[in-house]
Amino acid sequence: MNEPMNKDVPPLLGSWKRIYAVVLGELLLCILLFRLFSWAFS
Amino acid sequence: MSRLDWFVLGGALLFVVLWGLYKGRGATTGEGYIGGGRDHRWWLIGLSIIATQTSAITFLSTPGQAYVDGMRFVQFYFGLPLAAVILSITILPLYHRLKVSTAYEILEARFDLKTRLLAAGLFLIQRSLAVGLTIFAPALVLSVLLGWNLHVNILLVGTLVMIYTVTGGTKAVAWAHSSQMLIIACGMILAGVMTAYRLPSHVSFSDALHVAGGLGRLNVIDTHFDPNNRYNLWSGLIGGTFLMLSYFGTDQSQVQRYLAGSSVTQSRLGLLLNGMIKVPMQFLILLLGALVFVFYQFHTPPLFFNPGPVKQVMASPDAAAYRALEVDFVKAREGQSRMAEAYVTARHGGDAALIAATKQQLQQAHADSEAVRRKGVALIEKANPGTKPSDTNYIFLAYVLSSLPVGLVGLVIAAVFSGSMSSMSGEISALGATTVVDLWRRLIGGSQGVREVWVGRIATFAWGCFAMAFAEYAARLGSLIEAVNILGSLFYGTILGIFITAFYVKRVRGGAAFYAALVAEVGVIACFKFTSISFLWYNLIGCAAVVGLSWCFSLSQPSGAAPLTSE
Repeated sequence: MNEPMNKDVPPLLGSWKRIYAVVLGELLLCILLFRLFSWAFS
Repeated sequence: MSRLDWFVLGGALLFVVLWGLYKGRGATTGEGYIGGGRDHRWWLIGLSIIATQTSAITFLSTPGQAYVDGMRFVQFYFGLPLAAVILSITILPLYHRLKVSTAYEILEARFDLKTRLLAAGLFLIQRSLAVGLTIFAPALVLSVLLGWNLHVNILLVGTLVMIYTVTGGTKAVAWAHSSQMLIIACGMILAGVMTAYRLPSHVSFSDALHVAGGLGRLNVIDTHFDPNNRYNLWSGLIGGTFLMLSYFGTDQSQVQRYLAGSSVTQSRLGLLLNGMIKVPMQFLILLLGALVFVFYQFHTPPLFFNPGPVKQVMASPDAAAYRALEVDFVKAREGQSRMAEAYVTARHGGDAALIAATKQQLQQAHADSEAVRRKGVALIEKANPGTKPSDTNYIFLAYVLSSLPVGLVGLVIAAVFSGSMSSMSGEISALGATTVVDLWRRLIGGSQGVREVWVGRIATFAWGCFAMAFAEYAARLGSLIEAVNILGSLFYGTILGIFITAFYVKRVRGGAAFYAALVAEVGVIACFKFTSISFLWYNLIGCAAVVGLSWCFSLSQPSGAAPLTSE
């Protein structure tokens, strides 16, 4: 029941792996920016 | 409120209801009513997911949270993008392949009927209670601050929601969500811009952030690991991921939103859109709260923003002592304002030593005024025995009513109503769908078609009435409300554990999963009653307990899982 079901191609970036990387990259960027934000104004 | 505010509020609510009715017309089958025709595009799914999760209390409580405690609450949402990616890879394609209408159908295919009914039952219990609070909490705030009748408020929100939700089902809910998100976005963005604009003219945005940061309100990231600390990086990333996996993967109020997608691609993109938007959105709402905090460094706030408990003090023997504290508080805040002015002036001068000295004086002045406030809160607690006095939910709306211009007040209150309506509609629609699919269709054997549309409408209407009745009852619950608020985390871990066992622990069969879930649920409730572990961790504990116990129980059963096939 865990077989890959990635037949659908995303409309952007060509593959789902890249889209997932963008989502997780944005989270990482947010955490880094928030850390910088806290540091800059504390 | 002025006439213009009433006009904006009335126009916005009318638009939401008419838009939902118009776009939701034409459901002629049960699948069309519950599944929304399965033709939704990714952006509509994404907006609908965000709107369902975003309740009115999000807008009332979150800025107040930043005002009182700083911005660390945003860490609560760090698990959401992770959960969105995991669900997009695992469960979402499976739901589409099996063409299920509710999340719980899948459990009968993998385990048995009783496990499906257990998960559906846990959802019906926790969600039906939560939806009552969804409309009660903002109605209470509005009734206290605006003097509106609480019962009329609950009845108004409930009735407006039911007009389009009962009539049009999932499609009406999704399209109404899009209009509600538009109102919410306009209201919050304009409120943020206006708050920055209303700071004293010599206080720049950068000055405002330095004042907020200097007083500990920009503490966004806390890397210190502490299981008893509700909001830090690790509770957000670990506990938050399990909570979000459970909420978005197994809670029908969210599953129903993305199952309405026209394809796996559309559903995935909608879920991932939510994963990308939610963290920045919560950050901006918290930043708005931090700006309100800065606004009140240059204007004197009330000693306590919630006037309800204050009335109790004024009617008690401590009234004179409280009035004296109010005078002390005004004096302390005037001193604090002078220190804030001195700090900003020092920053403009650029003398590092003077900046450090004035910052320290500002922090001391803030500590002094907070000490007076704490004495006031102690008197409030004395006059309201058995309650934990809190004004967090009242800060933002009190600020809006006293400080924002005519017209914008109406728009922000329309955003509060929209938040209340968007959560309630998504939730009663999901409660209705679960009742129809997992109980009526499965147990009674009802057929799909026009009859099922009417059964769905009756079920949705009944759950809406139950939500309003519980909201009325909640007014008498007092401090129990906090317990009901964390109800979700008491059940989510167990439900997620059942699903993870279904997907990844192949040797486990129905009986083992069912009894493991019951034992795990008792364990989670014991954690809540007898330990101080923060509620986010209940999701991990409940989930791990179900997986571990079901594996242990399965050792006494023949191995091998039932094949997972479409019903």
